[in-house]
Amino acid sequence: MSQLFNSRNLKLLTNPLNMENPITVQVLGICSALAVTVKMKPAFVMALSVTIVTAFSNLIISALRKGIPARIRIIVQLVVVAALVIIVDQLLRAFVYDVSKQLSVFVGLIITNCILMGRLEAFAMANKPWESFIDGIGNGLGYGWILIGVSFLRELFGSGAVFGYPIVEKLGLYAHGYVNNGAMIMPPMALILVGVIIWIQRSKNQKLIESK
Amino acid sequence: MNKSNTYIFIYSTVMVVVVAALLAMAATILKPYQEKNLEIAKKLEILHSVDRGWDAGSADNKNKFVESEYDKYIAKSFVLNPAGDTVADRDAFQVDAVDEMKKDSTQRVYPVFLCTKDDSSKNFIFPVRGKGLWGPIWGYVAIADDLNTITGVFFDHSGETPGLGAEINTRVFQKQFINMKIFNEAGTFTSVKILKNNEPKIPTHSVDAISGGTITSKGLEATIFDSMKNYLPFLKQQKK
Amino acid sequence: MENHLNLFIDTVFIHNMIFAYFLGMCSYLAVSKTVKTSIGLGIAVVFVMVITIPVNYLLEKYLLKEGSLTWLSPKLAEVDLSFLSFIIFIAVIAAIVQLVEMIVERFSPSLYNALGIFLPLIAVNCAVLGGALFMQQREFSNVLETVTFSFGSGLGWAVAIISLAAVREKIRYSNIPAPLRGLGITFILVGLMAFAFMGFMGFKL
Repeated sequence: MSQLFNSRNLKLLTNPLNMENPITVQVLGICSALAVTVKMKPAFVMALSVTIVTAFSNLIISALRKGIPARIRIIVQLVVVAALVIIVDQLLRAFVYDVSKQLSVFVGLIITNCILMGRLEAFAMANKPWESFIDGIGNGLGYGWILIGVSFLRELFGSGAVFGYPIVEKLGLYAHGYVNNGAMIMPPMALILVGVIIWIQRSKNQKLIESK
Repeated sequence: MNKSNTYIFIYSTVMVVVVAALLAMAATILKPYQEKNLEIAKKLEILHSVDRGWDAGSADNKNKFVESEYDKYIAKSFVLNPAGDTVADRDAFQVDAVDEMKKDSTQRVYPVFLCTKDDSSKNFIFPVRGKGLWGPIWGYVAIADDLNTITGVFFDHSGETPGLGAEINTRVFQKQFINMKIFNEAGTFTSVKILKNNEPKIPTHSVDAISGGTITSKGLEATIFDSMKNYLPFLKQQKK
Repeated sequence: MENHLNLFIDTVFIHNMIFAYFLGMCSYLAVSKTVKTSIGLGIAVVFVMVITIPVNYLLEKYLLKEGSLTWLSPKLAEVDLSFLSFIIFIAVIAAIVQLVEMIVERFSPSLYNALGIFLPLIAVNCAVLGGALFMQQREFSNVLETVTFSFGSGLGWAVAIISLAAVREKIRYSNIPAPLRGLGITFILVGLMAFAFMGFMGFKL
């Protein structure tokens, strides 16, 4: 068991949380990250879906990597990813219908989520299945925590709630004059919030700053 | 790795077959759950239009709760032809508005749901459907047994802008419609207008539009008018 | 006609693929460093969208939707192949992009070299698949409407990337705080441009 979770594998889990974060460092997976962060619940389901699909597609492609003909490599990757996404979509529609309605087209867009193709090419094609699986989970978590962070701010300041719980109302802040910040619900705010997160991250990690 | 063309061909074929089989299996197994969800969602919308079903989310078994509430309040339903006569052996719940729109107007049928409220009064619930700014908008309008006063509405959409057009599915917006009338004093059908701030209000016949959501609001106004117009023959018959 | 013009303006400015839906961000952020490559990529994206979305529309209408196979035989009215939509759409897109790649390599080797890896990456550009999925959701009545939508979507994406490249070229010599340099300021820029584009909402001819 300790071999499965040796220090190298642990790094695969923790690196994407900060130094190799898919969104703020690798610049992958931006599209869906911004669009579904109006409220926390869809953001959470999306993060979970991406993590599962990335982990399993990494696993499958890694297991198949020696046998995939070079000429149809991209197509095979796309087919595996698309099939996994379809299964996730069907499961969502069967068991959490109201969330799947909110996610609508963005579940399908997991297929073109750059994180998936990026990790398949950069890692799964050259590493063993278990490591690839962990790498998928790590990147999914790195992507996920940015989503949760942005959606937390947007839902709190824009709708006065956290995960659906109307906390601003309960704390009596509306009575004190707080009005829901309309800008937070609007799509552009997500971009600005991620920009600020990048700013904070790079202030703490000089290594990530781009040279002139 | 040098792979011959035969290998590529066999590999692709096997992959396609395996994937297709897996997906077909998943779709078939999950289909009953998905259809159930659609059915429950529709029942919930109808219930919302008569101000019921709001606590479905906190029920132990949401599906059972919605079904029992629906059976309790929605006593009957029937399907009408364009002349307002009841059409036999069609289930109102199964009528799909999208399919009907594709038919020639003389071939369409229109469902009506009858609700018995807690105080035993009867409400007629009429489905409405039309276009918003970005996609379809639909809903249900509940009318009291005077066949004129609105007792409740429910609207929903599939892609209007959050904070703007999407507001049509909030209770705050929908509450405005309560006690509005669809016929004026002379007995002419006027429906309910949805007006911007600079337009003069018409007492009992107008509500406020959504700021920044004018196109959706006007689209909703047209939706209600056009959909309710189809039920005029039926309403005239009932008044006698 | 007026309807189509409204749809076109809506798709280019109001529900812009980048500023409203954030689709196609990855290549958008990576390629927008110079105006020249942005124009090249923008045109390529428009081209791919105008071909793939109507093709997918026809497939959706005559193959995938529930009850769409009735033209083959009335017995197939119950068949619903919509669960295959994702795979079929992405396969069509991948094939067409491969075609576009070959055409660009043949007719403009300089553009081919300038775009490099980003030409085949159009296949996984969220905006292209997103356009197809939106088309599926909105159920257009005919091919002309679909083409208007596709052209508008592609053009909107192109307008977005070219304007961002123009701004980025201008601020290259500005004094931006080190942690914001590059990616950070780009995000904030795009956010501000997105807010600006919201001013087009409600615009109707």
